[in-house]
Amino acid sequence: MINYNININDYKVVSPLSQCFEGKAAVYLAQHVPSGSMIALKKFNMDAIREDSYLVDVEIILTRQLHHPNILQYFISFVQGPEVWVISPLMAYGSCKDLLSQHFNDGLPEQAIIIILRDLLEALNYVHKKGFIHRAIRASHILISPLGKACLSGFRYSCPIIVNGKWQKTIHSFPSSTKPNLNWLSPELLEQNLVGYNEKSDIYSVGMVICELANGSEPFAGMSKTLMLTEKVRGCIPQLLDCTTIPREEGDDFSGGDCDISPKIVNRRFSDDLHKIAEICLNQESYYRPTAEQLLADSIFKTIKKSMPLPDLLKPALPLSDKVAYNTDDLEELKSLNNFSSLEIYSCEWDF
Amino acid sequence: MSENIYAVNPVEKDIEADTEERELANRIFSVESDDGLKPINAAENAEIWLNDGHGTDDLDGIDDDLETVNIGNFFHRVDSDQIIYQTKKKRLKLIGKYVMGDLLGEGAYGKVKEMLDSETLCRRAVKIFKEKKLRRIPNGEQNVQKEISLLRKLSHKNVIHLIDEFRDPEKQKLYLILEFCVGSLQGLLDSAPGKKLPAQQAHVYFGQLLDGLEYLHGARVVHKDIKPGNLLLTMEQVLKISDFGVAESIDFFAKDDTCYIGQGSPAFQPPEIANGADSFPGFKVDIWSCGVTLYNIMTGKYPFEGDNIYRLFENIGRGDFEIPDDIQDPLRDLLLGMLRKDPLERFSLQQIRQHPWLTRKPPPSEYTVRIPPLKNDELHNMTVLPYLIDHYYGPGTCYDEDGNVTYEEPEYFTERELNAAEESRKQLAEQFNGSSQANRSSNSKRGKKKRPISCMTVRTLPMCKPS
Repeated sequence: MINYNININDYKVVSPLSQCFEGKAAVYLAQHVPSGSMIALKKFNMDAIREDSYLVDVEIILTRQLHHPNILQYFISFVQGPEVWVISPLMAYGSCKDLLSQHFNDGLPEQAIIIILRDLLEALNYVHKKGFIHRAIRASHILISPLGKACLSGFRYSCPIIVNGKWQKTIHSFPSSTKPNLNWLSPELLEQNLVGYNEKSDIYSVGMVICELANGSEPFAGMSKTLMLTEKVRGCIPQLLDCTTIPREEGDDFSGGDCDISPKIVNRRFSDDLHKIAEICLNQESYYRPTAEQLLADSIFKTIKKSMPLPDLLKPALPLSDKVAYNTDDLEELKSLNNFSSLEIYSCEWDF
Repeated sequence: MSENIYAVNPVEKDIEADTEERELANRIFSVESDDGLKPINAAENAEIWLNDGHGTDDLDGIDDDLETVNIGNFFHRVDSDQIIYQTKKKRLKLIGKYVMGDLLGEGAYGKVKEMLDSETLCRRAVKIFKEKKLRRIPNGEQNVQKEISLLRKLSHKNVIHLIDEFRDPEKQKLYLILEFCVGSLQGLLDSAPGKKLPAQQAHVYFGQLLDGLEYLHGARVVHKDIKPGNLLLTMEQVLKISDFGVAESIDFFAKDDTCYIGQGSPAFQPPEIANGADSFPGFKVDIWSCGVTLYNIMTGKYPFEGDNIYRLFENIGRGDFEIPDDIQDPLRDLLLGMLRKDPLERFSLQQIRQHPWLTRKPPPSEYTVRIPPLKNDELHNMTVLPYLIDHYYGPGTCYDEDGNVTYEEPEYFTERELNAAEESRKQLAEQFNGSSQANRSSNSKRGKKKRPISCMTVRTLPMCKPS
């Protein structure tokens, strides 16, 4: 077990990986100098975050309290100048959103979705039992480790179910600065009426994530927020896009249609089980949505035993390998490469 | 709130009647705040308007029209099936990035409406000040400016938070975007049995009131108008001190909290203000009003009453009041301490905090008072939704309680149509009964069972003829 200390000199930034928190925080690939291992370094720019700084508190405090193999661990966090630094293990495949935008524009293969879904539900089951609602389940908050394990992150939007020592049946608080997560949120959470919501709201978001992973982008993406709201309140249930859900046009002429859905999407077919899971998760009535635990008992997850491991399923995506940076030559090379392509933000795009 | 029903009976001279009726019939009421149906004109021989009080602006113009018609001769009761309805138009209105919703409340300065932030989808409330109205109120504009500057610097869980503000120079309106609250403590009391709250609930709210007040006094702000009507509640049951219209910010260099002006609600004023003292300690004013508030929410009564403001102030000035016998120590002692005539002897916030009534947990109560419905909507759904639905899916699309979309094709229903479809007419009559019932019950008391309203009672008198 490596001991991570509060010493900025122990951490050597190698290259930027991505942005998060609406650009107010950045994740870097960094090296832990004493051990030589590669880690992820997240820098929160507190000057930019300003009044939302309590979200950083919430995220760090809660993440440090949680211990589960499918939840991103924070080794250590500290204040460095105007920034808060958080050291976490390197998630070599990046987030599911990265995978979608770089390699799988039309969505991930079904077997990969099922594996990620199981890991997500394991994490969520744990979080719910601990008495928290995540409220920001989305592909960009699901990270994939080099071994192909999905880890949940993004706990800054979460809220406790236990208030004043009592387990609340319903929660009414509307998450502040939740703008980027709105498309994934459940209708009952968005409605903000006296009915309130509970942890089943996260299950709705799981349904949205299944759609997102399968379709390449989340339902209602690009739609105005108010229209998204009315669609959800009216009971519009998003679907996985495949040959069973997209009505075929006359003569199978895909190019002539008014929407440019690639033939790959129109011709593929997800299993009925996956369709069913997405549908029950997206049920309008939270009461009819299963809990994370109930979902984990679904027969769909039995297929995982027989399936290929996630890294194989994710090819051609390659992990940001530890090996690359282990010797200093590579590290230097990486640095110079970085200088050449300062516009390049996603280093995982390079084929090492 | 009353429903005025005007019925114009057939006029002997057909042509004259026709023209007159046209004039009236073409007037379409836009009655704000009602989600249901509203009648626009009646059949050939009768006209009915319903007004729920919010549409007074529209009524102003009507009076003139009615003057030309001799009202006295035309009053006439009408069968309910002669009422014609129009589905309410929900036209989307945007102010900045906010979508306008329905009316939540009304004050002397203007209205409070619900709004939806179209970017974050967070519910908000907006306080709309009409500058014309403000100018008519003494110190109106100054008070509002003071309120805004106070709200801007205040930030506490139990103090209403100002989110945004802007001015529309064309309409001469000022908009203050505030946190959304579902109701006030006053609303809760009005709907509660005996107009009082169970001890446990009162304890929670009073604790929050103290938290908010402690913050305000720490920020050198004297609220001066603490009362149940100014204590709002959010969905999460968090109390928010609101309405800083008469609040005073103590100067940074002032040596103590001495104030010279008292402007709050009479029943909550302390004896020193009732007696017309030149100056008085400001923070103790709030303590007194808190005491009256606690007295009010625990007993359903006021410690001081009077037929008019002079009697009231006379009673307050004397400082003698009675506490009902069922109020025992420690609450009795707390109330006596907070309602001491001499402001210097009156409890301080610290004393109240350490008082046994606050430090001890109250006995569990059998019931909790729930927030009363808004216009018959128990759930307090977003009132912006119908506007959005109408905007996105076209007119005639309605949204019912179950979240289903129902299409109501004709916007107007004439009598001929009604005769053609007698069944639907009956349904509409019931619907009308239901919806106006809703207005009434929400404005009077919750939970009242249906009782016949004027337009239904006339069914029993179908033969009623003008004399």
